[in-house]
Amino acid sequence: MTLVRHLYTRVMKKGRFIGLVALTLVPALTLAFTPLTDVGRNMATHYASILAGPGFTFAIATLILTAATLREERDGGTLPYIYMRPISRQSIAAGSITAGILAAMSIAVIAWMATVVATLFIDGGVSDTLGGLVLFTSATVGYAAIFVPLGYLISRSLLVGLGYLFVVETILANAVSGLAQLSIWRISLSVYLGLESDVDESVVDEFLGTVEPGAGGGLAKLAVVVALGYAVLVWALRKRDAL
Amino acid sequence: MTDTVSVSAVSKWFGLKVAVSELTVGFRPGVTGLLGPNGAGKTTLMRVMAGLQVPSQGTVSILGVDPRQDPAIYAKMALVPEDEAVYERMTARAFIELAARLTRVDDPPGRAQRVLEIVDLVDSAERKLGGFSKGMRQRAKVAAALVTDPEIMLLDEPLNGADPVQRAKLIKLFVELGAEGRTVIVSSHVLAEVERMSHRVVAMVDGRLAAVGDLETIRAAMTDKPRLFYVECAQPRRMAAALIETEGVVGVHLDGDRIRIESSDAGNLAHTLPRIAVEENLVVNRVEPVDESLESVFRYLVKGG
Repeated sequence: MTLVRHLYTRVMKKGRFIGLVALTLVPALTLAFTPLTDVGRNMATHYASILAGPGFTFAIATLILTAATLREERDGGTLPYIYMRPISRQSIAAGSITAGILAAMSIAVIAWMATVVATLFIDGGVSDTLGGLVLFTSATVGYAAIFVPLGYLISRSLLVGLGYLFVVETILANAVSGLAQLSIWRISLSVYLGLESDVDESVVDEFLGTVEPGAGGGLAKLAVVVALGYAVLVWALRKRDAL
Repeated sequence: MTDTVSVSAVSKWFGLKVAVSELTVGFRPGVTGLLGPNGAGKTTLMRVMAGLQVPSQGTVSILGVDPRQDPAIYAKMALVPEDEAVYERMTARAFIELAARLTRVDDPPGRAQRVLEIVDLVDSAERKLGGFSKGMRQRAKVAAALVTDPEIMLLDEPLNGADPVQRAKLIKLFVELGAEGRTVIVSSHVLAEVERMSHRVVAMVDGRLAAVGDLETIRAAMTDKPRLFYVECAQPRRMAAALIETEGVVGVHLDGDRIRIESSDAGNLAHTLPRIAVEENLVVNRVEPVDESLESVFRYLVKGG
């Protein structure tokens, strides 16, 4: 618990927090400035299309936060203060990923609440917005499981992470159906859209591609991602230089 | 007395650069100086012993345990890293309490207060570490190591940046810790510093073991080496003529206004030079050792060994 609290506090710097909140307000602002009457869709479809598109800024914010969880300790030379403790490497890995998830969730809740306010602003029903929290939560867990170990292992993790998000998750995943199955954003969307029956089929197809909507399948994939990320981080903590 | 820290045939390389090469050495309770010039591999060895870096070859054992295999050993071991890295936004007290809490020791606030008193940081305990001087950061790091009451302490250049008063206090503290039966390994590139803490020295040069033993042995090895000095005086020819008769002087060379002296007995030269100046009525403006640096001494030890 001490480790989680420490890593969470360290990663949530004031300037970074404000900047990332601003970044994740993009879907809420998009919602606020595109009234339902202009797009001619039902609220669930409109909300889903904005979350799946401009909502991707949340993935970038999650990358920045979660990759920094252990990377800042390594770059700052403070990792020995954590590493040289009688704590199992499994506990350090679990604590680090948990801290990354909690940090990203703090941003996620604000981003989601902003979309709720924006929906009220355009006179939409708030009942369709609950799925947004499901999407952000799923994405938070999936990305933290990837980016916390990546941050530990690679000094330019931010650059590599951005490359992954923009090249693999957006460009290649659209072109190669197999890669779409591995996209955390699409997996998270599949969980969200699996719970939403009112979203138009066209929007589901546009954003999910070959990935089938379904909360159960999506959560199972996320569980595998978390297990793999955790295993990689435990391995790295045990086998790789900590400095 | 058995070794509490054992390093066996350890090598560590980074790409083509060999930082530590085939090093075997043991450390016992008490203070041991890990001595070597900058770039000798001291910090890498410290990190390998601390389990922060994986040896490319060889093994490390701390109280019979490889720290990479069993993190529980960290309850008995602490490192004061060389770099200034601390949590800039954290107060000294919070930093020390964090170390105590992560090590799961009893009464972190009470222990933190005690070690803050030991390192003279009580008055600055609520200040953020980012505003600390280098010396104060060093003391905060020492306190964070002490708060866990470790049996093994690895101190990597712990006196860097400390003012003379604090330096003396820290040296006294390390000596006391060693006398309590803890294994205290202090790395330094300053021979005089180590001399005040310990008689047992492990000397490294270029990643290799140059010498192990008490300082007297190493000093004796150093005195065998012809050492170079420059002397500046008003009448260098007369001084050179007088010096050539001096025992231990193996070479005298006139270099403009300066005399370059090669001596195998620096101690005798130190006594004889002022005497000659008085007897010959010569004014000596400057005496400068040319190769007094620790690096040159250690290179000599390596070549001699």
